[in-house]
Amino acid sequence: MTGPIRQAAEALLFCIALIILWEGGVRLFEVKPYLLPSLSAIAAETWRAKEQLWHHSLVTLGEVALGFAFATVLGVALAALIFFVPLAKRTLYPFVVALQSIPKIGLAPIIVVWCGYGLASKVTMAFLFAFFPIVITTLGGLASTPAHLEEHFRALGAKPWASFWRLRVPSALPSFVDGAKVAMPLAVIGAIVGEFVGSNDGLGNLILIATGSSQTALSFSALLVVTGLSLVLFYLIEALGRLVWWRQG
Amino acid sequence: MVAAGLKPVADMAPTAIAIDGVTKRFGGLTALENVTADIRDREFVSILGPSGCGKSTLLRILAGLVGCEEGGIDIFGGRVNGPRDDVGVVFQTANLLPWLNIEANLRLGLEIRRGKAVARATEIAPMVETLGLKGFEQHFPHQLSGGMRHRVAIGQTLLCDPRVLLMDEPFGALDALTRDRLNMELLRIWQRDAKTVVLITHSIAEAVLLSDRVLVMSERPGRVIRDVTIDLPRPRDPSKTRESAAFGEYVVELSRLMGVG
Ligand SMILES: Nc1ncnc2c1ncn2[C@@H]1O[C@H](COP(=O)(O)OP(=O)(O)OP(=O)(O)O)[C@@H](O)[C@H]1O
Ligand SMILES: [Mg+2]
Repeated sequence: MTGPIRQAAEALLFCIALIILWEGGVRLFEVKPYLLPSLSAIAAETWRAKEQLWHHSLVTLGEVALGFAFATVLGVALAALIFFVPLAKRTLYPFVVALQSIPKIGLAPIIVVWCGYGLASKVTMAFLFAFFPIVITTLGGLASTPAHLEEHFRALGAKPWASFWRLRVPSALPSFVDGAKVAMPLAVIGAIVGEFVGSNDGLGNLILIATGSSQTALSFSALLVVTGLSLVLFYLIEALGRLVWWRQG
Repeated sequence: MVAAGLKPVADMAPTAIAIDGVTKRFGGLTALENVTADIRDREFVSILGPSGCGKSTLLRILAGLVGCEEGGIDIFGGRVNGPRDDVGVVFQTANLLPWLNIEANLRLGLEIRRGKAVARATEIAPMVETLGLKGFEQHFPHQLSGGMRHRVAIGQTLLCDPRVLLMDEPFGALDALTRDRLNMELLRIWQRDAKTVVLITHSIAEAVLLSDRVLVMSERPGRVIRDVTIDLPRPRDPSKTRESAAFGEYVVELSRLMGVG
């Protein structure tokens, strides 16, 4: 067997072993379903509740997408401001660093008070979680423009605008993509936290309701879907990031 | 003087670059001290000097990229206080954009200096041919060898057709054959387009082969310690010129000045 196939086979076998252990363990020790449902029960529940799960997924997806989009646009803008305006570097940058240190989970109740139970509070939470990694990595990317290329552009008499688009932006992109990869799963976490604290729907809300009413299997189903959503979104960024194939060196 | 039909040594030509008492310090370190030299229009001047003596620094000052503490530079009678459009620089490192292919990198200088339209309309095939990069137009810099990347950087600057060409060890990364070929191409372009060339090199033989004049710099703090006029006939040819007795004498003299002979 060749390397990668062997690796995949090993991972698959390990997975199957875990499934057997879970399923077998739950059946053998007759674990109460509200504590830990069997995998087959979770699968059946997922199928049964598929429309409900779909609905809540779309809600959460919308929150994540909006939060992430705002985080990207505002994060890049703020990074550029801090990078290019010395006054912003002296005033905004320390402020951003300080804000970043606030545990954002602790903000969730206040955000719900401010923005209500609807979409806005969840978008804000997703935004808050995704925002800082994007600011920091974009700043790092802008600063990583090789000095010898900058000098070359200066020697060519490039206007600031040309230097920005033709040199700074492409230099910053690899780092920005790394930031987006970190930020996307964080945006999902942010949205779920927002839903936990106050919401009428969304996968976080479903997890909360299902667990509270001892529908543990449904809660696991929702968790499974959140995980899937997060993975899909991550690989979407990863795939888009492939367009930025160059690395400085 | 030189025989008829050959390029006259630009004795009578007006001054292209006047380096007037340039002193450059980096904090407590004096990189250049009172460097003075005149380079005439259409002259080919090489600068030789030990590593770290301030050659690249001098080139940056000539290019208007950094200032100096004392003295100054005039190019065609105007004080240098920033990069000029009639000056082209080939840096010691091949400054290519990793995300652009070779063709786009070759056109980049033109694009920034003269705009997209001119860059697109410019024929680059002859330059690609000259540089021996045929078939690599669509490759990216990381797919090229170090010497090939250097050739692209040289091509980018040559395509801009600057009146003054400043080059910092452009041929250092090349094998002897390619180096000879590009040396001759450079001479051809220099004569055809009436450029003024300042070439920094570590190769004494290259300096003698190409130049009208060789400026020898001292150890840091860099000063011009000798100004040697190379009175060899043109057109020059790598094999023939090197065989001449006069060539050997220049090399010996310069080697002695550089402390390697
Ligand atoms: N930006 C800088 N800041 C501080 N010191 C510098 C800077 N640039 C150059 N130097 C110093 O100035 C001196 C001359 O450097 P320079 O690069 O001009 O040398 P060089 O003659 O081109 O050497 P080489 O032949 O090795 O390329 C060196 O001692 C170097 O350390
Ligand atoms: Mg140097």
